[in-house]
Amino acid sequence: MDTQSTLEKVLRGIAITAVILFFMFPIFWIFLMSFQTNETILRVPPSIVFEPTLTNYKALITGRLESTAGALEIEFMSNLFNSAYLSTMAVIVGLILGVPAAYAFGRLKFRGSEDIAFTLLSFRFAPPLLVLLPLTIYFQQIGLANTYFGLIWVYQLIVLPLILWIVRGYFEDIPADIEYAYRIAGHGFWATFRKIALPLAMPGIAAAGLLAFIFAWNNFIFALVLASADKQPVTVGALAFVTASGIQYGQIAAGIVLSILPTLALALYAQRYLVEGLSLGAVKG
Amino acid sequence: MADIAGPPRRRGLRISRGWLPYVLSLPALLACIGILIPFFTAVAYSLQRYRLSQPWAHKWNWGENYLNFMSDPSFWNTLRVSMTYAFLTVGLELLLGLGIALLLQKRTRFNNFVSIMLLMPLMTAPALASLMWKLMTNPGFGILSYFAALIGLEDFRWASSPQTAMLTVVLVDMWVYTPFIMILLLAGLRSLPQQPFEAAALDGVPRLFVFWRITLPMLTPFLLTAVLFRVIESIQQFDIIYAMTQGGPGDKLTVFQVEAYLNFFQSTNVGRSAALLMILWVITYILSTIFIKQWLKLRERQRGET
Amino acid sequence: MSIQLTDIVKRFKKDLVLDGVSLDIPTGETLVLFGPSGAGKTVLLRLIAGVIDPEEGSIALRGQDMAGVEPEDRGIGMAFQNFALFPHMDAHENIASPLTARQVPDATLKERVFEVAHLLKIDHVLGHKPKELSNGQKQRTALARALAAQPSILLLDDPLRNVDAKLRFEMRLELPRLLREQNATVIYVTQDYKEAMALGDRIAVMSDRGIAQVGTPEEIYLSPANTQIARLFGDPAINLLDVTVQAGPKIALSGAEVVLDAAHTGAVGQDCILGIRPEAIKFVPADAPGAFPVEIEAETPLNEKTVTLAATQAQREILISRPAGTPGPVSGTAHIAMDASGALLFDRASGALLPMAGKAIEGEVA
Repeated sequence: MDTQSTLEKVLRGIAITAVILFFMFPIFWIFLMSFQTNETILRVPPSIVFEPTLTNYKALITGRLESTAGALEIEFMSNLFNSAYLSTMAVIVGLILGVPAAYAFGRLKFRGSEDIAFTLLSFRFAPPLLVLLPLTIYFQQIGLANTYFGLIWVYQLIVLPLILWIVRGYFEDIPADIEYAYRIAGHGFWATFRKIALPLAMPGIAAAGLLAFIFAWNNFIFALVLASADKQPVTVGALAFVTASGIQYGQIAAGIVLSILPTLALALYAQRYLVEGLSLGAVKG
Repeated sequence: MADIAGPPRRRGLRISRGWLPYVLSLPALLACIGILIPFFTAVAYSLQRYRLSQPWAHKWNWGENYLNFMSDPSFWNTLRVSMTYAFLTVGLELLLGLGIALLLQKRTRFNNFVSIMLLMPLMTAPALASLMWKLMTNPGFGILSYFAALIGLEDFRWASSPQTAMLTVVLVDMWVYTPFIMILLLAGLRSLPQQPFEAAALDGVPRLFVFWRITLPMLTPFLLTAVLFRVIESIQQFDIIYAMTQGGPGDKLTVFQVEAYLNFFQSTNVGRSAALLMILWVITYILSTIFIKQWLKLRERQRGET
Repeated sequence: MSIQLTDIVKRFKKDLVLDGVSLDIPTGETLVLFGPSGAGKTVLLRLIAGVIDPEEGSIALRGQDMAGVEPEDRGIGMAFQNFALFPHMDAHENIASPLTARQVPDATLKERVFEVAHLLKIDHVLGHKPKELSNGQKQRTALARALAAQPSILLLDDPLRNVDAKLRFEMRLELPRLLREQNATVIYVTQDYKEAMALGDRIAVMSDRGIAQVGTPEEIYLSPANTQIARLFGDPAINLLDVTVQAGPKIALSGAEVVLDAAHTGAVGQDCILGIRPEAIKFVPADAPGAFPVEIEAETPLNEKTVTLAATQAQREILISRPAGTPGPVSGTAHIAMDASGALLFDRASGALLPMAGKAIEGEVA
């Protein structure tokens, strides 16, 4: 395998460069755009040489969009807050619900446990609208429409299967004898769960939590159907923002950068666990 | 020391051993039952004549919504568009993903760095990815429109032209999801046992032969898992298409979920929308049953190794 | 009775693992559970510890029935074959875990941990996490943890299995004293017959989902209940030869006559298996009484003894053991004689030990 001809090396180099260009260029370009005014954005031919400006970010953060047509109030920061709040709460609720269940499925193996675990897994693959559309009607009726609570609940649809299946694998990997030893030493079930099972599965719990956060943050369809403007996360908000801001391309780019930055940062931080999370615990990275 | 001998005294909550697993999983199950109810409601809706705009005409019509599909060209269009989209995206992503995984197979610092960088599109919200590409394909200032003009494609309209709309969303889908296939296959390639490859290298077996006869067969469980996962997601794609064109131009991109969404919120035809989603559900249910089997095999194998 | 098992049946899914096991262990006794792997020894310990439940039968500890009693309430100390140390706690916390469960005051706890750590010579590594400990230190930490709360019942699951030979040798000398000092009822699981002989007040031999024989080490060695047990105890293994007992009682081997103990009279005329330990066979001059010729096939010098494999004229293989350093033939033809006083006779069909007139089979046969 190590006997590469020069030609092959060159071809490989070209291929890798092309790959990097295709996947990195959009992020790079939008990033550049976010530091430009419309003037430089609209230049023909486009150029990467320009005088960077922070006005786009300033407009987003202060919530006032100054345009030639006058000042426009923008909700972008509240969208960002909604994303953070919804994703964080969804993960917290998901962990509280999912980790004990993962333990039950992974360690205790009770009658019907496999069937239930697979049913939960199959939620991951059901068309989300199938559940969402009737839910909009129900949510109107029971007063959950456009509430954080309702959204966080529905987010469990993506968060729970992820947490359940990743954490379950980690619980399964703890040798049963270690837990037995703690029980025999005189500690009750809950103490053993808290002091042995949880700490030993912590890397998995943290990874599942981070990934669930990323998935919740990136979700679009749930909030599109169930939330109106004041509860919208960035994914939906950015779309509305495009329509509202019209031709303020720099601000749109800045908004996109602010919206994808948190998940990219988390992904880089948790990259060790990404493979495992993306395959729902099937492949170890 | 007599004070420490003997069983410890116990206080607090005690749940009998038989009940314990149920108590632990109950909260999660309850949360999910709340999700099962709307599922069954959707099944019911699909068997009803139900338009939000005509609440007085809400009644059971049993299979009529489904029967109507037979003679409904827009249904067949939805089916065709969804299938085309799924086939194109997964096919291209598989080829590209496998190619990149092979390029990055060796564990070098550089390769690891590149594979982590390539994860960034995957971690970008698909809806936002669409916005990014929208900015890049803007006819006024989009860099891609400029490039297209450079190679002689004057006035290339990307997603706004019926001819190239599909191509554009497929491109965005590839940008987002190729890294998914790549990263799974890379993990797969790197977990393969080295012996057969060393033996083949020693015997001077041609590399193409090694690839077809050793690498691919051994990689099959990973390939199948990745492909099934992607097919299920791709046939349900909503975010990228809705954020890019809302199903347009015309009905060029009205895939299942987009069509169902438009039926529900624009034409307020709940019955038809639900029936569409039920058909999509049946397709994905079949696929996901196959998927779960594959996925379990892979999980078993990977857990067995560590 | 400190531990009383009655008709225990345990299944895993459809596999029967234990089939009607009963065992009484008086307070203060060290009972060794001996048997090949897969005989159900570890399962039995787990049942007693309460981490799994039997399908049938009852377990009583200190006279109390344990049905429905959780493991933490059984007041047991247990050491695991794979040590099962808590990887995120240091040795001190590991050893202290039974004490924290009993809400022992801090000062007493520290004192007790140091005491037991000192006893096991690990007081210098108390601050180390399990992965920083050597195998031997891990094993001692696991033992210390089992002993820390001075449990009246101690379950030791082959604790020397995963340590190196030197340490095993040391611990085999140390453990009997340690266990005696504990004043506890001990069940000790092992696959090593020497360990079983050295440590057990009694030995329970497990095979085939049940207990085949219970008795003192001497009883098991001198009158094993069947050929299988006879083979398990003793290194080199006992010689088992198909014979027919003639009036005398005596047997004919390669032209020589071996006179048996008169107690074997009952076996006259029967097809039997003669069991004779390699130590009971000696090389003798050709004209010695009872001598018969054998062909030497191989010689294996071991530490304290030399084992010779020889074949009789009828091509039956016989092992002969003599103390190391004593002279003996290396090849060719030699003559041997048997000291038949300790010879055993087993039924050829069932393999069971034949009763000897005037002597009851010692130990209980389950």
